[in-house]
This record gives sequence, C-alpha cells and structure tokens, in this order.
Amino acid sequence: MLERWNPTVKAATVLVCVILLSLEYLISLNLLVLGCCLLLVVFGSRVSIKKLGALLLPALVAAFGLFVMGLYYAKSGSGQAVDMQALSAMPYAVRAAMSQNLYTALQLATRLLAFAGLGILFALTTDSDFFIASLLHQCKLPPKFAYGILAAFHLMPGMVREYNQVRTAFAVRGLKISVFSMKPVFTMLVNSVRWSESVAMAMESKGFCGTAPRTYYTVPKVHPTDLLAAALCIGGVIAGMLFLHY
Amino acid sequence: MNTKNWKLKDVLLIAICAVLFGVVYLGCTYVGGILYGVLTPMGMASLGYEPFYGIYFMAGAFGIYVMRKPGTGLIAELLAAVLECLYGNYFGPIIILSGLVQGLGFELIIALKRYKKFDRMTMMQGAVICSVLTMGYNLIISGYSKIALPVLALMLVVRIISAVIFDGIITPLLADGLVKAGVLKGYAVAQNQTADLED
Repeated sequence: MLERWNPTVKAATVLVCVILLSLEYLISLNLLVLGCCLLLVVFGSRVSIKKLGALLLPALVAAFGLFVMGLYYAKSGSGQAVDMQALSAMPYAVRAAMSQNLYTALQLATRLLAFAGLGILFALTTDSDFFIASLLHQCKLPPKFAYGILAAFHLMPGMVREYNQVRTAFAVRGLKISVFSMKPVFTMLVNSVRWSESVAMAMESKGFCGTAPRTYYTVPKVHPTDLLAAALCIGGVIAGMLFLHY
Repeated sequence: MNTKNWKLKDVLLIAICAVLFGVVYLGCTYVGGILYGVLTPMGMASLGYEPFYGIYFMAGAFGIYVMRKPGTGLIAELLAAVLECLYGNYFGPIIILSGLVQGLGFELIIALKRYKKFDRMTMMQGAVICSVLTMGYNLIISGYSKIALPVLALMLVVRIISAVIFDGIITPLLADGLVKAGVLKGYAVAQNQTADLED
C-alpha cells in the first residue's frame, strides 16, 4: 500500500512534516508521529520487522546520545555541566536542577525520533527505480541525471569490492596504509573517472541521448489518493501543533 | 542553475565520486561510532561524528573544483543526497534538504569570486562557510538551539577543522593529482592547470 504512494509526493510530504515539526518542540506530537509512522510501516507495507529494526536501532542510539547531551548541556537550564559525582552525592538537589534539562532533552530526542519515523517510512517503502522514475516525470529531472544516478547507484556493490581490493593491493606491496589514508581513495578516484567515461560511452553507444524524446517502461502518475494521503499526514501534524501543548 | 552544460559523462563522474566518498565516510563512521560510544556518557555524543563531517561536503567541493561552472557545487551535492536517499537510512528524504544547505557553501563563495578563483584559500573559505551553514541548519532542524552555546561552539570548531582538512586541502590535492595523472582531460580544472604551467 505505502509502496504504491507516489514517491515524489511521499518525499514532499515527509519534508513538509519535518519542517512543520521543527517549528515546535512538542514531545507528545513527536512521539505520536513516530508511533503513526511505525504502525503505518508495520501494517501498511510489506516490510519485514527485521529491516525496520535495522534502521530504527541506529536512530534510537542517536536519539539516546542527543538525550544525554540535552540532559547535561541544555541551554535553558543553569548552563553548566552536571558532573556524575554530584549526582550521587545529592540526588534530590541535582534532580531538581536537572528537571528543566530533562524536558529539553526529551524534546531533542523525540524530535530526532519523529524525523527518523518519517525517514524510515520513506526509505523502507520506496523502490529506488520507482523513485527515480517519479523524479523524472513529476520533478522533470533531466534523463541524463536520472539514469546517471541509477548507474552510479548500481555500481555501489562493485565499488566497495574494488575499494577493498585496492587496499589489499597496497598491503601486498608492503605499503602501510591507515584507515584515514587517502592513497586508496586516489586510486579509486582514477578508477571512478575511467568508469564514468566508459559507462557514458556504453550508454551513448546504445543510443542514449539526454535530450531527444524517449519512451519509458513505467510512467508514475499522481493519483488523487496520493494527494489525499499527503493532505491527511500534513493535516494531522498541523492539528497536533494546534491542539497539543506538551 | 543551468543543467544544459552537463554532459552524461559529467553526471556519471560526480555521481560515482559521490558514491565513493560515501564509501569512505562509511569506513570512517566505524571510528566515529567508537568515539560516539565513548563520548555519550559525557553528554558529547554528537561530537563523535564531527571530525568526519568534512567528508559530507566532498562531493560538492570536488564537483565545483573540477567542473568550475555555476551551479555545479549545488547540483553535485544534490546528486549525492539523492544517492544517499536511495541507499536507505533513517533520514530518508531529509538528506536532500541538508544536501541543499551543504551545496550552497562552496557555491556562495565561488559565485562571489565570479567562478574565476579556485585556489586553496577559496576552497578553505568555502569549507568554513559550509560548516557554518550546516550548523545553522542543525540549529533550526535538529533543535540544537536548545543546547548551551559553549558546546555548540566546540562542535562548530571541530566541524570547521574537519571541513578545512577534507575539503580545503585534501579535495583539491586529489583533483590536482588526477590532473597530473592525466585522467581529467577535458575538464575545466585541467585546462586551468596547463594554463598556469605556461605562465
């Protein structure tokens, strides 16, 4: 169901919701958005729970990091760091001082989670070829960009393999390279330039031309239901901003 | 933004390099992840990824440095953002928004110099502007405006240092190396360098 939502409309909806949510710091609304997104993904698409977890886990880790940061260094509180020794020595006073920070910390962490919910909703239910096809037709992305992006996208697995190969080649020659060494990156850049030339040549020799009219295998369209779904999501967020206060 | 002067070859070059920089960034996030873990109990978790922030801007910096045409920095960064979006992470299309901000950094300073100066100084200035703009984005979108100023200042300083190293120094060095290796023939960066040698 979510898979059939027009990707351009879906992406625009997510972006509008993100911008709206960033105008306010409503913990309840943020959590509601996260909850709705997760429910929609679980019941409204064919995404496996495992995949959902794989994306949600890093988001939870990031939210926790931001939460601790807000707890210690929120602007609205007294401003200075609360060190851990004071926390154990006089829990009550510190807890009182931190209560304001706790609220800010929750605001920051839940906002990140709300964004993650929206991002996951898009990322898990959108097929990459369908997204590019939609950008091609709905956003008038020039074909050379659309197919250039797809070509680079499908080169990715080969590039990771090649990158490891280049590192191994350096090791075989007895050259020590650290994680941050730019030498394998340079070798890979040389390869990238060559690839870009040969892929372009291959595409053009098959008759690809960025400007001439062409036929398409799939032509994504915007249906009224796509717009209705967008209106529901954005309307829901606006209603939350109007009626929720915390 | 004129997309007419982009050839298919140029699109592929920038897109493939964006993927490459993405792979490099992924490699660095393992280190970033460890730093993140160590810094979390101190409340400085977000600082963990800051030393690698400059890699985010490399696609834009590389694009504009090699092609040297109006809009190339912005388009290169948008290409990178769409690609990141395709690989699927929890930010989804929000990345396109931050890609727009990142692309603006180099575009602004180089447009100010009328797309004529591409020395190290210009690239470093671009890196600083990029860092400041993305921090502005973080203030509004990520809600960093709720964090105490000294912490934000520390993060910004680390981000600027990272951006200057990766985008002000390493990116031009890599591109110049490619010119010397003779693989970037036909790009503006190669033409300018041969002109410099003749002077």
